Amino acid sequence: MINDFNYLRPGTLKEALAMYVEHDDCKVICGGQSLLIVMRQGMLTPEYLLDIKHVKELDYIRFDKKDGLKIGTTTPHRAVEKSDVVKQNYPVLVAMENKLASIQVRNWGTIGGNLAHADPAGDPAPVLIALKATIKVGSAKGERTMPLEDFFVDYFETALQEGEIVLEVQVPVCEPKTGAAYQKFNLLESDMGVIGVAAAITLNGGGKCKDVRVVLGNAGQKPIRVKRVEELLIGKTLNEGLFAEAGTIASEDCDPVADIHASEEHRRHLLGVLTKRMLQQAWEQTKG
Amino acid sequence: MEKKKLRLTVNKQEYEVYINPKALLVEVIRDEIGLTGTKRGCDTVSCGTCTLMINGMSVKSCSILAMQAEGAEITTIEGLEDNGKLAPIQKAFIDHGSYQCGFCAPGMIMSAQALLNENPHPTEWEIREGIEGNICRCTGYNSIVRAIDATAKGAYKEDRS
Amino acid sequence: MNKYTVINPPSDFKVINTHVHNIDGVAKVTGRATYTFDVKLPNMLYGKILRSPHPHAKILNIDYNKALQLRGVIGVATGKDTLGVKQGIWRRYQDLCDEQILPVDKVRYIGEPVAAVAAITEEIAEQALNLIDIDYEVLPAVYEPMEAIKKDAPEIHEGFERNINVTRHIEWGDVEEAFEEAEYIREDWFKCGGQAHMCMETRAAVSDYTPDGKLTIYHSNQSPYYMQGLMAGVLGMREGDIRIISTYVGGGFGGKFELDGAIFCSAVLSKKLFRPVKIVFTREEDFIATKRRTPMFYYVRTGVKKDGTFCAREAKVFTNGGAYTGMGATALYLTGFFHSFPYRWPGYRYDGYRVYTNTLPSTSMRGFGAPQAMWCSEQQIEWIAADLGLDPIDMRRKNSHYEGYEVPGQATIASCGIDQCYDEIKKWIASKGKLPPNRSIGLSACGFMSGGIFNWFDTPYSFSSAVVTINQDGTVELHVGAQEIGQGSNTTMAIICAETLGVKIEDIKVHSGDTDHCPPDLGAWGSRQTLMSGNAVKMAAEDAKKQLLEFAYAQSGLNIVYDLDIKDRWVHAIARPERGYDYGELVKKALRGKDGQRIVGRGYYTPHRKGMISPAYSYMLQGVEVEVDEETGKIKLVDTMTAHDCGQPINHLGLIGQLEGAFSMAAGYGYLEYMPYEDGKLMNPNLVDYKMIRATEMPPANIAEIDTYEPEGPYGAKEAGEGLTNPTAAAIGNALFHRFGIQLKECPIRPEMILNGLKEKAGQDKAAGKDKPGKKK
Repeated sequence: MINDFNYLRPGTLKEALAMYVEHDDCKVICGGQSLLIVMRQGMLTPEYLLDIKHVKELDYIRFDKKDGLKIGTTTPHRAVEKSDVVKQNYPVLVAMENKLASIQVRNWGTIGGNLAHADPAGDPAPVLIALKATIKVGSAKGERTMPLEDFFVDYFETALQEGEIVLEVQVPVCEPKTGAAYQKFNLLESDMGVIGVAAAITLNGGGKCKDVRVVLGNAGQKPIRVKRVEELLIGKTLNEGLFAEAGTIASEDCDPVADIHASEEHRRHLLGVLTKRMLQQAWEQTKG
Repeated sequence: MEKKKLRLTVNKQEYEVYINPKALLVEVIRDEIGLTGTKRGCDTVSCGTCTLMINGMSVKSCSILAMQAEGAEITTIEGLEDNGKLAPIQKAFIDHGSYQCGFCAPGMIMSAQALLNENPHPTEWEIREGIEGNICRCTGYNSIVRAIDATAKGAYKEDRS
Repeated sequence: MNKYTVINPPSDFKVINTHVHNIDGVAKVTGRATYTFDVKLPNMLYGKILRSPHPHAKILNIDYNKALQLRGVIGVATGKDTLGVKQGIWRRYQDLCDEQILPVDKVRYIGEPVAAVAAITEEIAEQALNLIDIDYEVLPAVYEPMEAIKKDAPEIHEGFERNINVTRHIEWGDVEEAFEEAEYIREDWFKCGGQAHMCMETRAAVSDYTPDGKLTIYHSNQSPYYMQGLMAGVLGMREGDIRIISTYVGGGFGGKFELDGAIFCSAVLSKKLFRPVKIVFTREEDFIATKRRTPMFYYVRTGVKKDGTFCAREAKVFTNGGAYTGMGATALYLTGFFHSFPYRWPGYRYDGYRVYTNTLPSTSMRGFGAPQAMWCSEQQIEWIAADLGLDPIDMRRKNSHYEGYEVPGQATIASCGIDQCYDEIKKWIASKGKLPPNRSIGLSACGFMSGGIFNWFDTPYSFSSAVVTINQDGTVELHVGAQEIGQGSNTTMAIICAETLGVKIEDIKVHSGDTDHCPPDLGAWGSRQTLMSGNAVKMAAEDAKKQLLEFAYAQSGLNIVYDLDIKDRWVHAIARPERGYDYGELVKKALRGKDGQRIVGRGYYTPHRKGMISPAYSYMLQGVEVEVDEETGKIKLVDTMTAHDCGQPINHLGLIGQLEGAFSMAAGYGYLEYMPYEDGKLMNPNLVDYKMIRATEMPPANIAEIDTYEPEGPYGAKEAGEGLTNPTAAAIGNALFHRFGIQLKECPIRPEMILNGLKEKAGQDKAAGKDKPGKKK
């Protein structure tokens, strides 16, 4: 049962940040697609709920060829999924959103809320980290930006400090000859992933690997960027054998749980298989 | 908990209710406004029986605070028909036997209508994706897909005469 | 998108098997249908149930004083407020009536109701639960049947040695001799999982007990009559003082024809407080505290000749009965019976043991023990065919039932279309040509009953009854006890009535789901209604028509050798159909002729001398095309074809819906709906972790309808919709067998099981010096 709370509805970002500081024991709600479930189970019982869903100035998708993509925190998933500019420049984000929960959830739930919830099984985080995203957070006192991978601290725990909310997700322009792919393993099409793997590859002029990121979802307390894969692949001419090796590394450099959906061993196996496949897919895209 | 005033526009009608701010939209629609067509079947935003439309988009009303819906145009299953004339999608559901126990039907129809609002000519796969957030235990979905497909192809055009 | 073909096209019906819309369509697609979930009565209270956290414990003391002090709480009920009746649906066998809802002595499963609170809001009722103190003495518990039958296992019910609740034995022929005749024998152990009914409408009841001693209950159930009878038993009331209203029911699937905590606790509270009390289960409660499909351990030993002729089969089954009997006794029998279907066995023996454990009671669920039976039987048969190098369809065919066959001592098969089913599936497989390398096809045959002949409820009433009343304008009131739960019962009964009486479907108004106004009927389970309730409706409509036609005959002056009939509202001589008049005219004449009394026709049906199980059997063969990702173990269902014999289809749209819907549930049983328990606790009581098939997973479900004629059924009809839950799990297993050569013994099939199976097979092949595993079909 949801506890009684006082409802605050700011009209602007400034109001929101001020209210957030003014009220103790205050939780921010936007789409609420994850938050309300948690509150209903009694796991969170804030005295104040700050509703930023209608702070229109935070609902935007902007792109320019220099600064890249900027998505405001209250932008619904569906807007990202349907955005032409995202499709053209970061098709992997559209593909990821297309498999996230259901259309109803994507219509109301927001990308900022998803990231702030920090569910290790969340879809956006691995993909965004693979794309080298940064995240801007801010409070009444000021703003700061950090790499997205530093934003996640633990299960459902972020680097947000008191009074801070997520403001914007920033994805840099992809270098030429970059490909990215994401897949999660599940039994049902848009179910949350038993595990998920995002991979991004950038080739240099000579066709060798200039940069690579492999990020594992639901493989530990937070998204895991597998650095050893980067060490393995950067500078090399890529091939299937290397991808298989990368898969083995990924299956080792993670900390997956065992639950009713899969044993730890199976999760590691799946992480290995999907890492290999996502690298393959990302690589194929660089040629296109 | 002190009740707050809330103005909701549901099926083109403005309502004024006084609610505990933690009330979910589905609770207010069903209990305060008295529209029981919208159902509830889970606590984890999974089943879709609470689906209605906000500004023409399908949403699950069990995971929206009623307070958040202020200022929006809400459409429930009761709002699809026009003065006793069923909407084409409703006629299609009847003609294709796309419901059995009927409990999932209102939510399913709202998802179907929202899909067609956004994508008037969906492929079969897009139709299946469009109702993916709605569970049906009875039909096996295929008759629902056929009904939506037939509606999209104009088989149940509204009779405005 | 979907192919539906009919083999042996039906005859010239006006209403039967035509494109009739479900008669409750407008209500259901406009949100007007009011389910128990929606019912609100004046002065109503909301009830919540406090449940046992322990799998096995003595109840020492319940103190609810603090709860009563919470503002808004009106009352609390415990077992002390009841008559302490141990009830069960197998009323004829008192020792199987073992469940006292709201027990006083001890609890036997996690989630069992122990106390119930009524308050002015649902929230207050829920808060009050936290204020009830219960002292338990925790007892040792046991969760698996093979553990529970051990000598030192904790005793769950007094007087049931080794926790064996029910045993069943089916045998015919000389089994030992039959095994002697066999040239190849194979034995396997299997494990079949449970499954949740997962009705979209959770359990819900609104009970209203009034000072005149009458009780009205709005309840989501499959049999208002059963509820009436059972509630009378537990409350010590007369059946006639209890009214059950179940106008719209959001799904049943076998889980809603016994008493549940919602109806019982709401009634007890209402009786105590003299106010209506509404209890609606949350989805979690529905998972943990409503009975489930019976998990089973199966041992199967089969002997055949080298040419594939079946000789003998022996099966031993231990079922996880959970804490109470419920309908589990029937599931135990039916699993053993349908395990023989659809084949002739010269020697057959089945021994079933239902074992009590401290887990959620298991009961009936669509298929009633047959999905489990086919999971084992149809896979083993496939493996035997492969072992012997025989064609699996031909091997099945040569051993199948046929019209007239007598299952010794059990049943006479009066109609059987299985042979044509084999032809249709062969055609379908051939049409597929060469499959892509990551796909394969698996088959499964089965048969099912059209209602049961046992009177375990001990009713003095006919199993089904119907009343047809004709109004002055020709409209017809059809009163049935048959219960609409989404399967299309109201429409099917209306169709039979309209066809028989000779009127249009729009002329029929169906009354059902209200014991005050409808005749008794055993309700919707065991696929009984089309045949049994349908027969009652047909008889009632024939009775009404006969009375009507008396007036037509009187004034027609026809020679005695000529007959009259009504078809499509047209009264005419059969020999001269073009000459006649409107049925409405005849109705008016008849009314006047009967002194202003409406024509009333009565009908009823109870199976007599129809063997041990059922008056009629449906048959089917299903093929499923499955794609498997062999690196991850993920299953995708690509296509399916079911060749199906339900006698004469009555409700065309309803039939397709039943076939497709049954497939979706059966597929869930095959590879999705995993229901793991740990120390008696369900690990996934929610729709995030319990996986339900969605539109994106459902393949096209092609159907080839084989029309046969079942003499016992109305117009030749028999069941459709439950039998189809039986084959799919086995068909999926067989598809995997054909691609990989792995033999999966446990369902639901999970990705890890496939990968482990592949690893194991690779190891075996390596040891045997073989190359790649798997036999291509």
